Amino acid sequence: MKRLLTLILVLTFTIPTLARNIDLSTVPARDTVQLTIYNAEDLTLVRETRVISFKQGNNPLQFSWANTLIDPTSVELRFLTRPDELTVVDTTFPHDKPQMLYWNVASEFSGVATVEIAYFTSGITWSADYTGITDPDNKTMRLEGFVTVTNNSGEDYEDAQVRLVVGTVNLVEKIAQLAQRGMMNVPAPAGYGGAVPGVRMDRARREVALKSMVADADASYFADAQEERQVIKEGLSEYFIFTIEGTETVPNGWAKRMRSFDAADAPVKVQYRYRANEYGDQLVRMMLLTNNEESSLGESPLPDGIVRLFRRNDTGSLSYLTQQSIKYIPVGDKIELNLGVDPNVVFEVVDLRTFRDNIWGSINAKIRRRFDDPGGVRIEDRGRVEGWDEHTIYAQRIRNYTGKPIELEIRRAFGGDATFVSRLDTKSHDFQTVQFTTRLDTGESRDLLYELVQRQGSNQKQNRVEIMKADPADVPWMN
Amino acid sequence: MKRIGLLSLVVAMALPLVPNPAEARVKLITLPVRERVEVQLDHAHATLVEEERIVPLVAGANQVDFSWANTRIDPGTIVFRVIGYEGEVVGKNPATQPEVNVLSVSYPPGESALVWDVSSSHSGPVRVRISYLLGGLSKSFNYRAVAEHDESTLTLARYIRVQNFANEQYQDTQIHAGLGGQFSKPIGLNETKEILIEKIADVPILKTYTCDLAQYGYLDPAQKKLRVPMHYVLTNDEDHGLGGESLPHGKVRIFQKDSTGTTAFTGEDWGSFTPIDDKMKLYLGTAQDVVVKRTIERRDRTKVGGNLSHFDVIVKYEIENFKDQAVVLDIAEQINNLRNETGLGSNQQAEWVIGEQTTFTGGPDAEESSQHRVLFHAELPARAGDKAEKIVHMLHLQFRNQF
Repeated sequence: MKRLLTLILVLTFTIPTLARNIDLSTVPARDTVQLTIYNAEDLTLVRETRVISFKQGNNPLQFSWANTLIDPTSVELRFLTRPDELTVVDTTFPHDKPQMLYWNVASEFSGVATVEIAYFTSGITWSADYTGITDPDNKTMRLEGFVTVTNNSGEDYEDAQVRLVVGTVNLVEKIAQLAQRGMMNVPAPAGYGGAVPGVRMDRARREVALKSMVADADASYFADAQEERQVIKEGLSEYFIFTIEGTETVPNGWAKRMRSFDAADAPVKVQYRYRANEYGDQLVRMMLLTNNEESSLGESPLPDGIVRLFRRNDTGSLSYLTQQSIKYIPVGDKIELNLGVDPNVVFEVVDLRTFRDNIWGSINAKIRRRFDDPGGVRIEDRGRVEGWDEHTIYAQRIRNYTGKPIELEIRRAFGGDATFVSRLDTKSHDFQTVQFTTRLDTGESRDLLYELVQRQGSNQKQNRVEIMKADPADVPWMN
Repeated sequence: MKRIGLLSLVVAMALPLVPNPAEARVKLITLPVRERVEVQLDHAHATLVEEERIVPLVAGANQVDFSWANTRIDPGTIVFRVIGYEGEVVGKNPATQPEVNVLSVSYPPGESALVWDVSSSHSGPVRVRISYLLGGLSKSFNYRAVAEHDESTLTLARYIRVQNFANEQYQDTQIHAGLGGQFSKPIGLNETKEILIEKIADVPILKTYTCDLAQYGYLDPAQKKLRVPMHYVLTNDEDHGLGGESLPHGKVRIFQKDSTGTTAFTGEDWGSFTPIDDKMKLYLGTAQDVVVKRTIERRDRTKVGGNLSHFDVIVKYEIENFKDQAVVLDIAEQINNLRNETGLGSNQQAEWVIGEQTTFTGGPDAEESSQHRVLFHAELPARAGDKAEKIVHMLHLQFRNQF
C-alpha cells in the first residue's frame, strides 16, 4: 500500500537535536480525509484529521509529502479539539529536506487531541460527462450524467469524502508549479502524466479491487444489494458543490467514474437549423432538451463535459449519433446537441435573378465637335452611376427525404442597407439577421422564395435589414 | 509479430472466508463469452459494436472487468446496459424485485481496461449489453451497373465491403449497414468481406450529352469545338425501380452488353450519395460523334446614360450528330465565364435577360438553371445516311445596367 504522506510525532527530542543518529518517532494514522476538487483549475483542497497524543510542553511534529504534488505554502495545521490548550509555536521548512516541515506544538496538557491538516495539491482532477440514449422516434431521451475523479497526485486517498466544485476560482500561481519548486531532483510521482507504457498492472488492479471489496464486505456489503452512491448537489455563492455520498477510494493513477444523475424520459425536440456563424454554412440537425424538472433534471447546473449520444433502435440495440462538448448549462437553460448534417435533408440556396433599378448618377455633359465634318456635333455624357438598388431573388430549396416531418429555423445575415421581401414566416433576429421558419412533411420539396434589395453607393442610408411582407419580383426565365 | 486484440470480460467473485482476507481468500474468476454481437455501420464516420454477454452475478457486490488490449476502442464511449436476469435467480428476499445497478467504474492506470462495480439484489445470470466505438472496422459501398445494348435500362448490383483491421475477430456478427439492411456474417482478423445487398434489373436510365465550356472545356480549342461528356442518369424513385432507400456514395463500375450477349467494361465513376427521389449522375467519357462548335457571334453595347450600358451577347452553336440515333444535347453556359470571355467581367452581379434572338425552344431548364448558369436542351436528329445535319442554335443574352 502506498502511503507517501506521513505525520510523525517526534519523541523526546527537539528539532535541533534531530540530526542525531538515534531517533524515535510515532506515526499517527489518518482518520478521515476530505477532497474538494475543482474542475476549473488543477487544484484540490485536502483536509485530513488525525488523533495525536500530546505531552505537556513542546511537541515536535514532522509532516512530509515525498513524491506528491502538494503546495508547501498551503499546508496548515488546526486543532479541532482543545484548541485553547494547543498552540503552533513555529513552523520550519528544513533546507536539506524538501517536501517536509516541522511544527513545534506547545501543549498545556498531556492527552489526545484531534488535529486537521489542510493543504492544496495538484494532480487530482474531476470531469463531467454525459450519455444520452434517445428512443427510436427521437421523442424522449435517457440522459445520464457522470463524474470521473482521476488521481495522479502521487498519493492514494482511501475512504475519502469527495466534493466536486463547479465554478471558476482565481489563482495567481499554479499549484503544480508551487509543488515542483525546490524539488527539482525529485522524480515525478509514478502515474503522473501517464503511466509507463506496456507495464501490465493487472496484479495491482486486482489487489486494489480485492481491497475495496474487503472494505465493502466489512461494511456489510453482502447483506443487501448495494445502493448506488447519491451525488448531493448544493449551491454556494457562484459555485456548485457535488458531494458524493459516503466515501470513495481512489488509488494513485486510477480514475473512478460515478453516476451523478439519471433522467429517464427527458422530452426532446428535433429542429433543423441554419446559422452560418454558429454551425458553418450547412443545415444541421439539433436535438434540444431543457435542464428542468419536466426533464427529470434541473436539480443542478450541468458542468462542462462531453455528451455522447446514441439512439435505441426498434430492436433494442444502439446506434451512435454524435459526441460533442457542452459548456456549463444553468438550471432552466436549454441543452442543444448538434447531430451534424442530415444527408436526407437537401438544403441549398439558389440565386434565381439579379436586377438593378433606382439608378442615380451625376451629370457632367460636354459638347464635342467633329473637325472634318462641319455638321458633326456630339453631346458626350460623362456622368457616372453613384447609387443604385440591387435586387436578388433567391430560392431556399429544401427537400425532406427523412421518414418524418421536419421543422426548420433559418437565420441569414445581410450587411448594409437591405430589405428582405417575402411572404415567409419571418422575424428579425437582430439588426442585420432575418430568421424564418418552416415545416416540411415527409418527402416534401419546397422552394422558399425571397428577394433581397440592397441599396448601394449613394443610395445606402442605413446599415440594417428591414423585413417587408410582399411577393418577391418575378423570375422571367422560369415562367 | 501480429498483435491480436484481446477483448475479455471477467467477473470476480470473492468470498470473505477468514477475518484476514487480504491473504486468505479463495478467488474465482468467470469468463462470460459473447452471446451475440451486433456491428452498427450506419454512422458515416464511426463503428459501434454491441456485444451481449451473460454475466453470473452474486447477490451483493460484483466486479466486472473489461479489457481491450491492442484494439482501438474509445473508452469514453463504452456503455454498459443491463437487460435483465436470465433463468433462475436466487434471492435473499423473494419479495424484492430483482435489481442490478452499476455503482461505479474504475479505470486502472496504464491499461486498456476498466472495472465495473455492479450490485445485484439476487444471485443469478444477468444478460448485459456492452457497446463501444471501435476503430479499424469500416465499410464502403460499390456498385456494378450492366447496361443493355440499347442503353435504355441497366441492372444495378449494390455491394457492401466490410474491412476488419480492428485486431479482433467477430463470429456470427449481425451487421447493420444502415443503408442496405442487416445480415449475419463472421468477420475474421484483417478480413475484407464483400456482400451483395441487392440486385435490381431493368432500371430505366437516361443517357445525357452535355457541353459546358466552363465545366468541361474544349475538345479542340483551335477549332472552338467543345468537349461533350456523356452521363447515365439514374433516378432513385419507384418509377425507376429504385426508391427503397438512399443510395450511398460508392464506386460504380459500368458495363454494357454487346450484340453477342457478353459485356464490355465502359468506365467507372464515383456515385454520390443519392437520397430518395434524387438523381445519380455517372460520367461515362467523352462523346466522339456529337460535335459542337461554339463561337461568340455578337457583342454590342447600348449606352443608357453616363457610364451605364446594356450589352447584347450572342453565342452561336453549330452542332452535328454523327450517330445513327437521335439524341438530346444539353447546352450550358456559366454566366460569369461568358461575361469574362466577352470583356464584361465585373464585381457586380450580372443582370441578364434572355434576348429575342435565342433559338432554343421552351426556355432554360428551370431545375438546372439559376442566376449563374443557364441550361437548354437541343434535339439532334440521327445521321441521315452518311451525312449529319448541321443544327445551328443561338443563345442571346442581354447584360443590363452594367457600369
